[in-house]
Amino acid sequence: MYANPVAYVFSCIFVLIAHFAMLSNIWFNGNYTEVRDVAVLGAAVIILDIAYFAVILAFKQMSYALDFLLILIMGMSVIFQSCFGHVKLDVKHYITCIVCLAACKAGYMLCRDHKLLQDKKLYIYGAIGVMVLITLVFTSAENMWIEIGSFTLQPSEFIKPLFVLACATSIADQQKRHKILIFNVVYENIALFCIMAVICLVQVKSHDYGSLPTFLSIYAMGFLLRICYPKAKFSKKKLFGVIAVLVVFLLIGLKYAPDYVQHRLHVDIWSDKTGDGYQQSQALIGVANGGWFGVGPGKGFLANVFAYDNDIVFATVSEEWGLLYALMMVLVIIIITAVPLINPTRSYFHGSMSACVCAAFIVQMALNIFGSCNLIPFTGVTIPFISTGGSSLLVSGLMIGMLMAGQSPVFKEHKQKKQEDPEPAWRWKE
Amino acid sequence: MKSIKRTQRLISLVISLFVLGMAVLVFKLIHESSFYMMNSDKHELGFVYDRKGDVLFDGTGEGSYPDNYFLDVGNIIGDDKGQMNNTLVANNIEKLNNYDFSNGLKQKGGKAAIYTTLDHASNRAVFNAFGYQDGCVCAYNYKTGEMLVSASLPSLDVTKGYADIGSFRPGTLLSKTLSGTVPGSTQKVSTVVTALEIMGTSNLYAKSYNCSGKYTNLTGDTIDCHNIYGHGTQNIQEAFENSCNPFFAQLIEDDDMPLDRVMKQYEKMGYVLNGDKPTYYEIDGIQCDTASTTLEDKYQFKTQWGCIGQGDTLVSPMQLMMWQSAIANETGRMTMPYFIDHVTDVNGKVKDKAKTRYSDKLFSESTASAAKQILLTNGADRYAYSISGYSVGVKSGTAQVDEGAHENSLLVGFVDDPSFPIAFCILIEHKDSGYLTTEQIAQVLLDNLKNNN
Repeated sequence: MYANPVAYVFSCIFVLIAHFAMLSNIWFNGNYTEVRDVAVLGAAVIILDIAYFAVILAFKQMSYALDFLLILIMGMSVIFQSCFGHVKLDVKHYITCIVCLAACKAGYMLCRDHKLLQDKKLYIYGAIGVMVLITLVFTSAENMWIEIGSFTLQPSEFIKPLFVLACATSIADQQKRHKILIFNVVYENIALFCIMAVICLVQVKSHDYGSLPTFLSIYAMGFLLRICYPKAKFSKKKLFGVIAVLVVFLLIGLKYAPDYVQHRLHVDIWSDKTGDGYQQSQALIGVANGGWFGVGPGKGFLANVFAYDNDIVFATVSEEWGLLYALMMVLVIIIITAVPLINPTRSYFHGSMSACVCAAFIVQMALNIFGSCNLIPFTGVTIPFISTGGSSLLVSGLMIGMLMAGQSPVFKEHKQKKQEDPEPAWRWKE
Repeated sequence: MKSIKRTQRLISLVISLFVLGMAVLVFKLIHESSFYMMNSDKHELGFVYDRKGDVLFDGTGEGSYPDNYFLDVGNIIGDDKGQMNNTLVANNIEKLNNYDFSNGLKQKGGKAAIYTTLDHASNRAVFNAFGYQDGCVCAYNYKTGEMLVSASLPSLDVTKGYADIGSFRPGTLLSKTLSGTVPGSTQKVSTVVTALEIMGTSNLYAKSYNCSGKYTNLTGDTIDCHNIYGHGTQNIQEAFENSCNPFFAQLIEDDDMPLDRVMKQYEKMGYVLNGDKPTYYEIDGIQCDTASTTLEDKYQFKTQWGCIGQGDTLVSPMQLMMWQSAIANETGRMTMPYFIDHVTDVNGKVKDKAKTRYSDKLFSESTASAAKQILLTNGADRYAYSISGYSVGVKSGTAQVDEGAHENSLLVGFVDDPSFPIAFCILIEHKDSGYLTTEQIAQVLLDNLKNNN
C-alpha cells in the first residue's frame, strides 16, 4: 500500500492535470475532423492513468516517484503519437505503452533482489547468448526486426537490459584475482569484455551502428564503477592507458568504417537535402516551423517524412507542440534518470544497475535528438518511451523497472544450495 | 554509502553532459532557425530598399511598378527564384524572410527588410547612359564604404521572370562589376604603386626610359606602344599620362625592380599569381573576384604584358575601385565596400547596422600619396574638360579581349573632394561599336551622385 496518501493523491492530480492540459491544447489547436477522436484519445489516456494509479497500490514500494513519472511520460507519448499528422488514438502505440508499463513492473519484480540475480548470473549470460543467436539467425543487415502479426520485435534491443544486469552482477565478483604467469587476472572482467565484444560484432554485422554507443556506454559505466569500487586497485596510469586504447580503436573504427557510414559522418545535409540529408534537413525545418509554441497538434508537415514517429520524433513533437513542449518531454526523461540522485539506491549493485540504465537512456536520447538535429551523425535510434516501436518500449519499461528496483530493493538471505562450492558454477577452475 | 555516492557522481556527470549538449542544441536551433526556414518552401519575403526608400526588390510580389523599374539593379539585387546565385537577395534571403523563432512565419504585415546604400536614381541614370552598349559601373564612398552605384549591362527586370531565359544575352544574369576582366592600362596603377613601394618616390621619379613606338625586350619579344611614333624619353608621370607600354616594360626589367619583390607587392594587393587558386572578396555575402596575373620572369613578354594589363591579367571592376580608395585616402588600406546599410527584422527592429571596415595595409602612406599625386595630375592634365566640375584622379585603359578581336574601355579613379569622396570604375565593352566614352559615363555618374545626395 502507498505509505503517504496525501502525496499519492497529489501526484495523481499532477499527472492528470498535465495530461488534461495537453488534451486541452489538442481541443483548441489540434487538427481533428471529429470531436469524438479527441474524446476517445482523452478517455484512453485518462483511463490508463487511473488504471495505473490503482495498479501501483498493489505493489509495496519505498518510493513511487518513478511510477508517477513513468505514467506521466507514457501519457505524453500516447498523446504525441496520436496527434502526428491528424488527431486519432494510435491504438498500436497505446497497446505497446500498456506492455511497457507491465514490463516495468516485471523488471521491478525481477531486479529488486540482487542476491538472487547474483546467483543466477549464469542464466543472464545464457540469455545474452540466446538473444545474440536469435539476432544472428533471424535478422540481417537489411531487416533487423522479427515480425509477429502486426507487431515487430528487434531482438538486439533485448540484449540491453541483460547486458546491464551482466555489468551490475559482475562488479561484486571482480575483486577475485587469479595469478596467471605474471598477470593478476579477474575472470569476470574478461568474461564481460568478451560479451561486450561479441555484442559489438553482432551489431556491426547487423549494420546497427546506432546501438553501439548505447552498449558501449553501459559497458563504460560498468567499467568505471568497477574501478571506483572501494577495494579496487586501479591506477590512474592504467585508466588513461585504457582511454588511450579506446580512442585509438575509435579512430581506427572511424577510418575503416564502411562507405555508407563514412558518408553519413561527413554528409552536408543542406547540399544533399533530397538525399541522405533529407530526414535531418526536414527535421530542422520542422523545428524552425514550430518555434517555441508549435503549429498545433496534427498540423505539422513532418508527419509526411519517413520515421517521423521514431528517428526524428523530437523534431516532430517540436513542430506540432513547440520546442518548449519537446524540452519538457526531455526534462521528464532526465528527471526519471536523475531519481537515483534524489533518492539514493540502497546497494552498490542497484547503484551500478541504475547508473548503467541512466547511461543507456541518456545516450539513446542524445543519439536521437542530437543526430536528428544534425549536431552529431544521424544514427536512427529511438528516444525511450516516446518513439514508436514495441521492442524499444518494452525494453525501456524493463529498464525503468530496474531503476524502480534500485529505489525499493529487498535484502533477503538466500540458502546456498551448494555449500561446498561458494563460487558460481560457471567460473573457471584453477 | 560512500561507494553509492560514486554511482551518483557518474550519473550526474552523464546527465550534465547531456544537458550541456541540449543547451548547445537549443542555442543552435534558435540561432539558425531562419536559415532552416529558408531551406523550406515556406517564405514570406519583405522588401529591399535603396538609400532613399525606393524599392529595389519586392518579396511580396504584390506591388505595382513601372515597366523595367528594376532593370538597372536586376543582376546585383537579384531575386529568390534561384537563377542568380551571386546577388544581394540570394545571399541574404534569410534577412528578408518575415520569420523569427518566437513569432514563426508572419503571413501579413511583416517588416523584414534590407536597406541598401545604393542610389537607385543615379544607378538608373548611369544604366540608361550606356544606351545600346554593354559594360558596367561601380562607385562608392571611399571614406565610408557605402556602395552607391552598381550597374551592369545587359540586365533583366526580375519581375518579368525567366520564361525567355533562352533569349537572354550572355552576361545578363551576372553583375560584371564582380567578375574579373582584362584591365588594360588601368593595371598600370598597380605597377606604379609596386614601383613606388620598391624604389621609393624619388628613385622612381629619377628613372627615365625611351619610347620609340615599340620596345624589344631582353628576350627578343616586342612590346608595341599605341603611339607608333613613340613618346621619346619620359619620366614616370609622363609615361603614366601617355600610358606608354615600352616605358613600363623597361621599368619591370629594371635592376631596381627585383621580381620577387614585385610578386610580393602584387600578392599584398590581392593578386593571385601564376595560376594559383582564385580567391574572392565577400561583400555582404556577394562574392567578388580578386585579381590574377602571371609574373614568372621579368625579362619575358608574358610577365611584362601582365604588368601592363594584358595577357592573363584579370581584375574585377570592384577590385579596381577598391584600390582607388587606398590611394585616395592616402592610407594604403582599402575601404571595404558594403551594400547593406541595415536590416529590419519581422517586427521592424533595426539590426546588423553596417560599419566602415578597412583592409590590411597594402602599401605605405607615402606610396599612396605619391600615387594619388600621379593620378590627380593625370586627371588635371587629360580629363579636366571631359569630366568637368570635379577634381579627379583617374587612369584609363584599353583592354584587348576575345584574342584581340575587340577592345574594352576602362576608367578608374576618384574625386579628390572630402565632401564628395567617390571612387569609381567604368567599363565599356566593345568600345568601337559605338561612340560612348568612359568619360561621358563618369560625368553622368558624378553629376547624378552630386545632385541626388
